[in-house]
Amino acid sequence: MKQAPNIYMDYAAATPLDPKILNKMLPYFSDNYYNPSATYLSAQAVAQDIAEARNKIAKGLGVKPVEIIFTAGGTEANNLAIKGVMERFPEAQVITSNIEHESVLRSAEKYSYSQVRVASDGRLSTANLEKELTDKTVLVSIILANNEIGTIQSIRKISALIEKIGQAREKSGNNMPLYLHTDASQAPLFLDLHFSRLGVDMMTLNGGKIYGPKQSGLLVVKTGIVLYPLIDGGGQERQLRSGTENVPAIIGLSEAIISAQKHHKSESLRLTKLRDWFITELSREIPDALINGSLKYRLPNNINITIPGTDNERIMMELDELGIQCAVGSACSASNDQPSHVLEAIGLTDEGAQSSLRFSLGRTTTKQDINYVIKSLKKICSKKYI
Amino acid sequence: MSKLKLKVFVGLSGGVDSSVTAALLKEQGYQVTGVYMKNWSKDLPGMPCPWKQDYQDAKRVAVQLGIPFKMYDFEKEYRQKVVEYMLAEYQAGRTPNPDIMCNQEIKFKLFFDTAIKDGADLVATGHYARVVNSYNSKSKEIQLLRAKDENKDQTYFLYRVSESALAKTLFPLGDYTKPEVRKLAKKFGLVTANKAESMGICFVGKVGIKDFLVHELGPQKKGDVVDEHSRTVGQHEGAIFYTIGQRHGLDVGGGLPYYVTGKDMKKNIVYVSTDLNDKSLWDSSVSVKDVHWISARPTNKNIEVRTRHRAKLVKGVLEFGEYSAKVEIQLKEDVRAITPGQSIVFYQGDVVLGGGIIY
Repeated sequence: MKQAPNIYMDYAAATPLDPKILNKMLPYFSDNYYNPSATYLSAQAVAQDIAEARNKIAKGLGVKPVEIIFTAGGTEANNLAIKGVMERFPEAQVITSNIEHESVLRSAEKYSYSQVRVASDGRLSTANLEKELTDKTVLVSIILANNEIGTIQSIRKISALIEKIGQAREKSGNNMPLYLHTDASQAPLFLDLHFSRLGVDMMTLNGGKIYGPKQSGLLVVKTGIVLYPLIDGGGQERQLRSGTENVPAIIGLSEAIISAQKHHKSESLRLTKLRDWFITELSREIPDALINGSLKYRLPNNINITIPGTDNERIMMELDELGIQCAVGSACSASNDQPSHVLEAIGLTDEGAQSSLRFSLGRTTTKQDINYVIKSLKKICSKKYI
Repeated sequence: MSKLKLKVFVGLSGGVDSSVTAALLKEQGYQVTGVYMKNWSKDLPGMPCPWKQDYQDAKRVAVQLGIPFKMYDFEKEYRQKVVEYMLAEYQAGRTPNPDIMCNQEIKFKLFFDTAIKDGADLVATGHYARVVNSYNSKSKEIQLLRAKDENKDQTYFLYRVSESALAKTLFPLGDYTKPEVRKLAKKFGLVTANKAESMGICFVGKVGIKDFLVHELGPQKKGDVVDEHSRTVGQHEGAIFYTIGQRHGLDVGGGLPYYVTGKDMKKNIVYVSTDLNDKSLWDSSVSVKDVHWISARPTNKNIEVRTRHRAKLVKGVLEFGEYSAKVEIQLKEDVRAITPGQSIVFYQGDVVLGGGIIY
């Protein structure tokens, strides 16, 4: 049997753990396994390694080490940001966009909650956000770069607005704080995440999307913000996230963030070219295909397309048989899945959403891979019964 | 008509049997379309319904074979024709067979009709049975025959399928044994090659029929369990849960095992006996109603019968009564635990003549 190639184009879902990062993690499983809270020297050495990892990240992001709360992944960090604030201000209101990750949406829905709708290119206008803000708004959470359509928000404009409103509020004698949180899980490989330049108050990062270990993540919490803890216990992570530290994950996450931020410019340049080549070739070979989300404000590795009239799950399976792995935003109606809320938010119908595919590129992606994917897509779409 | 022009709609369940069915037909040159029938998708307590995995496996097989794929949504009809029937029968104190009803009403009526309407010339399923019709022989007569693999033969579940459906049905697996089918699945490289067999009534699955009935009908009234000496030996949790001949599930504790010998639904009594030879457990004749003949009523009245799937064939003689839908069978040997509501199927050699419901 002919050996099918293995072309992975689902980096937005999971990245392979970088072997160099794995090597840095390995000693902390069976050799330096000590509980960092213990007082003997070998445990103290591990505590010191965690502190160093934290310092490195802090330096990389331009924050203080105490502002970093390690979590088990991005979902937990998002939960901590939303619930951590809202549990302290139960009467207040939270605002998010309508293209947030489920971990933000499901958390926010538990409280007084309002959504700002993005435009058909996936972009949020600060004017629309301003309209939703009330005196009771305590938290705004906006995803920096969307996981499905790759749309990047102008977070600096948003943070400037939040700051302006916050200052006006203070002047008027309203003591309610106003915080801005951003879920930056998809961003570190491609965008500058210097915290003060972004101007946000809290930020979620996720190791599993940046060649680090899964279930590693963090929430940056600006000094002065007091959160309500979701997990009580031994009081680790400034009482905000109890439980013995997952040392290998923290070490891995630190390495992943440093490496991502170090290479973000060059990797963005390389992948932007490949992404644009994909889109050009696709439009040439399958002229019916549509691109979802802004072309300009877009992650360099994201291609989200609709091929009208097709069954995305079938195409995904056809591609899989040819050795290509990609994602379906939402599977066909038969599976009873909810259509993707992101595609719905930018105006796609259920049928459109069920004809949509996401290809996300990564470190190993080459131009040859893209040519093979386009060729395969064309072949599949030419079949009568697709 | 050449096979190349014949359109066959194959019921793809996401299991290995139907996958190989589609692969064989494609190899034989038919124009094959795979169809997943969505009959049930409800999760039950302790058992998430695996339909989505099955659906995706079926679709994946269609991809691997390069054939069109469709889904027919029969959930409403399945609920009406199969599940409601089953619940009503249990409530009436009988032990129904939903698989037989599913073949009669869903697979070989609703699916068949829909497929023909959608342009199919023939339908096929992964049943272990053989069929003779004008598409695979010169015979003018339609015949349903037992499978080559006696161990897997599923004709017990197929005896109520209409002659008109059988006339346009293919059962490619009837000539193969299960191990051969597994080998073929590997040879064709199908994703379902190593998939575990689904057992029992599909939608009840591992939950078990008792829990399913409680889930659908609510807890039942407790009642007395009475033995062959008219002594009350314990309590039951609802007479509907018990089936003639059943050994397990009687909370009467200790001593010899009890067997259910009968039920009185009105008095809510379950009768039991410790005596395996208890007369009420054995019958030498069976009354059969709702008789369905595959083709004509046989002239030769010497037949063999089977009172449950894979049970041993027992010789008997047919006696036609006043009404054509009812027959009596005089058995050549006593048969244990003949259960009202269950089906009895009539055979002559490999040929399935038909069958009916025991009453």
